[in-house]
Amino acid sequence: MEVSFAREISKLKLSEGEIFHGEGILAVTKALLQSGVSYVGGYQGAPVSHLIDVMVQAEPELADLGVHVEPCANEAAAAALLGASIMYPVRGAVTWKSIVGTNVAADALSNLASPGVCGGALIVVGEDYGEGSSVIQERTHAYAMKSTLWLMDPRPNLETIVDSVEAAFELSEASNTPVMLQLRIRACHVQGSFRAKDNAAADISIRSRLAEPAPHQYDQLAHPPATFAQERLKSGERLPAARQFIRQRRLNENFTGTQQNVGIITQGGLYNTLIRALTEIGFAGFDGGSEVPILSLNVVYPLVPEEILEFADGKDAVLILEEGQPEFIENEISAILRRAGCETILAGKDLLPMAGEYSAETVAAGLGKFLRRHLPDRCGELMDRSFAAEIDTLRQKAAELLPEPVPARPPGFCTGCPERPFFAALKLTEREIGKVHYSADIGCHAFATFAPFHFGNSILGYGMSLASNASVASFQEKRPLAVMGDGGFWHNGLLSGVASRLLNEGDGVLVIMKNGYTSATGTQEVISTPARSRRSQAAEASATHSERTIEDVLKAVGVKWLRTVHTYHVARMRDTLLDAFRTKEPGLKVIVAEGECQLERQRRIRPLRAGELAAGRRVVRTRFGIDEETCTGDHSCIRLSGCPTLTVRQSSDPLKSDPVAHVTNGCVGCGMCGEVAHAATLCPSFWRADIVSNPSRLDRLRAGLRRHLTGAGIA
Amino acid sequence: MNGKPPLRILIAALGGEGGGVLMNWIVEAARQAGFSVQATSVPGVAQRTGSTSYYIEIAEQEAVFSLVPVPGRVDLLISSELVETARALVAGFVSPAITTVISSTARSFTTAEKSAMGDGRYQTEGIIQAAGKLARTAVFLDLTELAESNRTFVSATLFGAVSASNVLPWEIETSRQQLATASSLRGFDAAATAVREELPARESETASIALPGTQFSALPEDLQMTLSLGQARCTEFQDAAYGEQFLDRAARLTEAADPDDHGSSHALNEAFRRLALWMAYEDVARVAFLKTRTERFESIRQETRLEPGQTITVTEYMKPRIEELADILPTALGARLMRLAGRGGFPGLHIRSNGVIGYWLLRTVAGLRVFRRRSLRYRREQAEIDEWLLFMEEGLRSSAGFAAALAELPRVLKGYSDTHARGRRAYRRIMDEIVRPAARNGFTRPDTERLRSSIDAALSDDGHTRLDSVLGAAQC
Repeated sequence: MEVSFAREISKLKLSEGEIFHGEGILAVTKALLQSGVSYVGGYQGAPVSHLIDVMVQAEPELADLGVHVEPCANEAAAAALLGASIMYPVRGAVTWKSIVGTNVAADALSNLASPGVCGGALIVVGEDYGEGSSVIQERTHAYAMKSTLWLMDPRPNLETIVDSVEAAFELSEASNTPVMLQLRIRACHVQGSFRAKDNAAADISIRSRLAEPAPHQYDQLAHPPATFAQERLKSGERLPAARQFIRQRRLNENFTGTQQNVGIITQGGLYNTLIRALTEIGFAGFDGGSEVPILSLNVVYPLVPEEILEFADGKDAVLILEEGQPEFIENEISAILRRAGCETILAGKDLLPMAGEYSAETVAAGLGKFLRRHLPDRCGELMDRSFAAEIDTLRQKAAELLPEPVPARPPGFCTGCPERPFFAALKLTEREIGKVHYSADIGCHAFATFAPFHFGNSILGYGMSLASNASVASFQEKRPLAVMGDGGFWHNGLLSGVASRLLNEGDGVLVIMKNGYTSATGTQEVISTPARSRRSQAAEASATHSERTIEDVLKAVGVKWLRTVHTYHVARMRDTLLDAFRTKEPGLKVIVAEGECQLERQRRIRPLRAGELAAGRRVVRTRFGIDEETCTGDHSCIRLSGCPTLTVRQSSDPLKSDPVAHVTNGCVGCGMCGEVAHAATLCPSFWRADIVSNPSRLDRLRAGLRRHLTGAGIA
Repeated sequence: MNGKPPLRILIAALGGEGGGVLMNWIVEAARQAGFSVQATSVPGVAQRTGSTSYYIEIAEQEAVFSLVPVPGRVDLLISSELVETARALVAGFVSPAITTVISSTARSFTTAEKSAMGDGRYQTEGIIQAAGKLARTAVFLDLTELAESNRTFVSATLFGAVSASNVLPWEIETSRQQLATASSLRGFDAAATAVREELPARESETASIALPGTQFSALPEDLQMTLSLGQARCTEFQDAAYGEQFLDRAARLTEAADPDDHGSSHALNEAFRRLALWMAYEDVARVAFLKTRTERFESIRQETRLEPGQTITVTEYMKPRIEELADILPTALGARLMRLAGRGGFPGLHIRSNGVIGYWLLRTVAGLRVFRRRSLRYRREQAEIDEWLLFMEEGLRSSAGFAAALAELPRVLKGYSDTHARGRRAYRRIMDEIVRPAARNGFTRPDTERLRSSIDAALSDDGHTRLDSVLGAAQC
């Protein structure tokens, strides 16, 4: 990737006592180095992509510390990486986006958790739940419980997050169990500060290698009969050890309050929202001081029964604040209280919504119900209802003043994205053969599910599109279409999709978007990413053009019908698609839709052009435009494109009432407009301007001819 | 509630336009000014042009900061786009008790708005008014335009506007120091000045246009304006006689209308506009003419920001079909051409309109207008215009409401090639299945409603799915 993280990397080198200012996920990275890790790895995905990006770019600095960096091909590989800590006393950490990444990692996680670890093993998961999430909504908590892994959910300030990372390694070692640490989206991106410590170098690392491998110890293999003993160890030894460590180190925090008869037990990650909600209803201050006692669980699995019982002791009722479903923590606390014969009333999902993100507004409403019931003498002071009424009034007034619903603005393809012209070609294909069953996938191409394209009948996971229509193919007259990116292809699609279809001699059409990177997660590299030399050779052209790893692999596994088409050749792409749907040839048809990610291309082009311009060399800039005189305001072009720079504006012609199409200055001259205008026989309104800076003598000669021999006025 | 609340700032923005940069500037400035600060966001895939937000809290002492904005509890709303401001208003983030709104008036249209076949734009007039009522203070400026004219990004002008608004608890110089480039400083300063001066709204330029002949002097001025624009358009399209023909047709409509009825005058204005646009229909000669006008090249010079010393070539993407060339030729010749070529088209042509060959080729095609009056398409268009005018006259005499709707019917005749063919199909169906029967019925109110809904339907999707359902329903 071309983005530079130099500033972030400098923050990783801060030493004892210096103040770190920065993003949450970068603070985690610094904490890993302070903890003396020997290896780090993971698979990219919001909201933890930056951890990987920074690590990859900081590889030289990390090598000085002895840290091995391994960006993995998928989360299963990342989880398996932690296997190093089973037999060796080395600390390691991996990261991914959850729930999806944890799903992929699940097999390796089970096999890791069963034998347990002797070196601290940490999994940092970005809990992609609630506003801003891009995946299905589920909780990571379930994995901790079923595999007996510990789960931390620290209060979302950098001090606590960093302390938790450091404590997680110790907890892992004290209980021979891998630890997961979950950070919600906003916590990953939170900008804050903490006092740094020196980085620590590990005893065993790439700089200090072992001469001999670990001895063969059958007990440590995830293989029967050892697994039966391991299963007993999990609850028999590791769990008590973990509880003891959590209690001794006070990883959970008890905030006392003046209202002794009630209390709130919260996931640490929700603590700040809870305080703000309490402030709004009049029971806490902005400084954090709360009248209601709070037990903040920075470790949400396992719970320590003694801590829960001590907190509940003498209280009439406790409220559990737990985001997402089902209510794992509440159920566990219920069992703890019941077993101990504790009479304290338990409240939680009966007062708060079962599903969805807990905003301050939601929490305030739940708190109001709880406190009204259990602090009846203070009902008069509770401001929950006035707060809710105030918000309602604001929304009502706004709705009266703005009766038309505000149009939604989902994300979409970037300006110049090479995937957009493919979807234009697909629309044109459907004009000829009608709709086809479309299996969508995870990646930028999933933006084609939104306007103006509206493609997709199902999404079954990353790299799963082809696999997901194997049975659809059996009962559809027309061949179904699966689209996946090169990211999805390497993550899973090659095996689950292509190999499986070939094994079954199945039919179908697969389109692989070869843009060279896992673009949706921030353009990280995959195995088919064009090498740096190839990229500098390509200069302004698409660097994926000559990279043929995907095609070579497809041929090697036995794909017979294989075409690579540059996405900007819209008409050719349409014809290739038509051919794939109509050919009598049986078997899987694969079209590799090639076009380098425009984000990466532009990042390469910009400095290149600036350098050429500064040196006084000839540089051509291309942009598109639309003649408003010939535009009839039908906007067919927009319905085939959706480019952010292709928009509308009021016509300056007073006779025209409908807005005309217009290209803004953001245009990068990708050429799609013209290609689509041709392929779709759209309209003659598009023009392309090629502007030459530092023109050559030939340019100037030609311009002179144009000036003298035409009436155009610009040359 | 104990303690002083932090300064709570919500930034509403579009992914990829620098909201994160603005957030980081504010955070850095706050740190330098000695404040405790926290900021966060939900970038994820919203980075890719979707609507997104950033949230900052700034306090004098350490505090437990919230990671999410709370409705009714935002001190400062910064917005880079007008509809995003509306989104924040509707979500209840703006309160008359505390909120200062600083918003750009620029619009970045959502895909749904801009892909509508007619005008799908959100009505924005209400947003500024609503913010005025719902906020404590609201400042609206076109900060996007200000950024473009200073060759910088909207984050810089937003930062300038915010820093000059006396909401941030530090000197403007502390903000200014965060900027590294000359262009962002220029944008920052320009926005700061604009906020201080609260620039009076720019007056819209209304060109002075000669009014048409005295025969229309009884009409309201805006109608006369439309008439003279229409006359000019038709004269430019063909010749002075064609311009006169436009006025004659307009006179027929004027006679049929009730001069005192407001509804009729609205219908007339719409009819004049549609008539002019229709009469100046886009055939290849017209397109070639428009493509080679000096004014057009001048606007390309401005749009491309062509600088002295640079050279430029302008390439046209044209793909005329054989029919379209046949359209402009004399009927017999056109028919022969069609027989020779069959149905099909030229390969996509790239014509360099400011090149020697391309320019003169286009001028030659533009010159084909001498044949226009004898062409197949001319005859067809005139016959259809006359048919429409006939119904317009009848409508104006008996039902201003129906006439107003009918005046809009030519809107469905849009685009070129396939798009145009689809539009014509829709037009014919509506004419035959709604307008003709309505004329027999005497233009009842249900007729008007059916006509309006069928025009809307024809403009709602390419495949005419809605039109089919509306017309199907209309028949039974």
